[in-house]
Amino acid sequence: MKKPKVAFFDFACCEGCQLQVANMGETVLDVLGLIEVVEWREVMSEKWGKKVDVAVVEGSITDPHAVKRIKKIRKRAGAVIAYGSCATIGGVNGMKNNFPLEDIKHYVYGDSHRFFPTEQTKAVHQVVPVDYFVHGCPVYIPEFVAVLKAALQGIPYYPPDYPVCVECKLNENVCMYDRGVSCLGPVTRAGCNSWCINNGNICYGCRGMVSNPNEKGAQDVIAKYKIPMELVLNKMNMYNKCRELD
Amino acid sequence: MEDTHYVVLKKENFDQFISLLAQKQKLVAPVPKGFKSFAFEPVDSASQVALKYIPTVLPLKKYFMPQRETLLEYTAGKGVKAEAVVEYESLTIFGAHTCDLAGIQCLNMVFSERPKDYNYLTRKNKITIIGLECNEYCDEYASCNLVDASFPGGGYDLFLTDLGDYFIVHVNTRAGDEIVASTRSFDKTELSQLDELRKLRDAKRKIFVNEVPIETKHIPELFDRSFRARVWKDLEARCLACGNCTNVCPTCYCFDVRDELDLTLKNGIRYRVWDSCQLEPFAKVAGGFNFRKERSVRQRHRYYRKFRYPVERFARYFCTGCGRCTRTCMADINLKETLNELLKESEDRVWKRWL
Repeated sequence: MKKPKVAFFDFACCEGCQLQVANMGETVLDVLGLIEVVEWREVMSEKWGKKVDVAVVEGSITDPHAVKRIKKIRKRAGAVIAYGSCATIGGVNGMKNNFPLEDIKHYVYGDSHRFFPTEQTKAVHQVVPVDYFVHGCPVYIPEFVAVLKAALQGIPYYPPDYPVCVECKLNENVCMYDRGVSCLGPVTRAGCNSWCINNGNICYGCRGMVSNPNEKGAQDVIAKYKIPMELVLNKMNMYNKCRELD
Repeated sequence: MEDTHYVVLKKENFDQFISLLAQKQKLVAPVPKGFKSFAFEPVDSASQVALKYIPTVLPLKKYFMPQRETLLEYTAGKGVKAEAVVEYESLTIFGAHTCDLAGIQCLNMVFSERPKDYNYLTRKNKITIIGLECNEYCDEYASCNLVDASFPGGGYDLFLTDLGDYFIVHVNTRAGDEIVASTRSFDKTELSQLDELRKLRDAKRKIFVNEVPIETKHIPELFDRSFRARVWKDLEARCLACGNCTNVCPTCYCFDVRDELDLTLKNGIRYRVWDSCQLEPFAKVAGGFNFRKERSVRQRHRYYRKFRYPVERFARYFCTGCGRCTRTCMADINLKETLNELLKESEDRVWKRWL
């Protein structure tokens, strides 16, 4: 059997998710036994430019050039995997949408802003259809591998549609709210194995919200713990601002 | 009490007893985690063990039905080959409270039903359980008396009751006998010590009373009247559907079974993981229809699975009164409060019929 051709692409992002994949350790050998990587700017010089079976896309879409490029990639890819928060939910780039575009342009590019057309930040699926999502900032490698396997088998992958609390509880962590710290775990989609909380940090909501969050209930909980709503909204917008465009 | 088998473990021998247990096989016991939280974790000395603790974050079920457990290894493709897998290890649990012992008794019944769950039953047979009596309530969330779980009712090999300078120990099984014989940390019981135990139990009967004003045997009737109660609607607005209440419940045993191929895409495993009726995808079926879309319906289901359905099937409540679901709920959904409100609502209706 010929190995499926896989290409990695990046848009507005820190390329940290690619680094995660490149750094996956021994598993990378097994993965490479399964696929042929034909294009991946971060780790190889070769370009392919033709059809690929799977396109793995990092980063969010933030300017007209990126829109054109992602549409081309979509056309030559059998399946598109959006990976990393920037690609799957807009991620931190979404904070740009808190401000008018004009202000942003002037602030970043000063007088030369007319050379740099820009748009509201969008997640990849807000521009072209996406087949698979690997949420997270950065991606959680076991999930990335699971999604890659699903894509190669042509079967769907369903990211968990329940809050991080589930995994956090299974890891028997002391609840951040019991420690007097606010945490976005209760409304954030699981699948990361509560990575941050296991290591003493809070959840920042990098995997996006669950599909049917009880927003009113969450507000009551926040009020009960006497956390200012503004603080929570700011935290929420850090990764989830692009949710408004869905 | 006289015709059963009691021995005494002096406090000065406790360190030695725990060390010997830990040398024999893996030993787990409640360990403080800070912020009033405890967890069963491996220990090798008595100094790590919390003798006074409120129910741990996760109950003992994590040892009896692991969160992720391989059931089958297979080779896919032509001529599929599959082999059943049972994962287990020898384990001693020290310090199980009566609520958690009741939880294991419930799980034992569930997994012994035909077709028997050999993965569970094999593992269970490798686990030695040493119970520890609660001389008083752990906190205000417990409702163990309501479900007859505040006094020891079996389900252990040894059971310790702290009586100051010593523990009085009930030896319940041959495995318990073997521990007593092999650790040599125990002394014979004196009659006065058995008297002390009796006194403690009498005192406990005054402290432990039904935490909700209903007779235990009347709970199923209450639930028969409450399927359409307003209380469930109230829970709809509050529940975040985080699944904490079921994950920490000693008797929630629902699981999901999944297949996973390795990176050759030829060899795979079938494994099961904990699942929860509170989660969005639990009752979602092909086509996207969700049988329990509303959180109120899911919460109601949880309560009926504790207080009504198992009464019919297993002739016991599947609530052990440990209070974990209440302690863990960020939205303050409180088991005792819910039962109280059900009672109030149901009484209102009964009165209305009379008036």
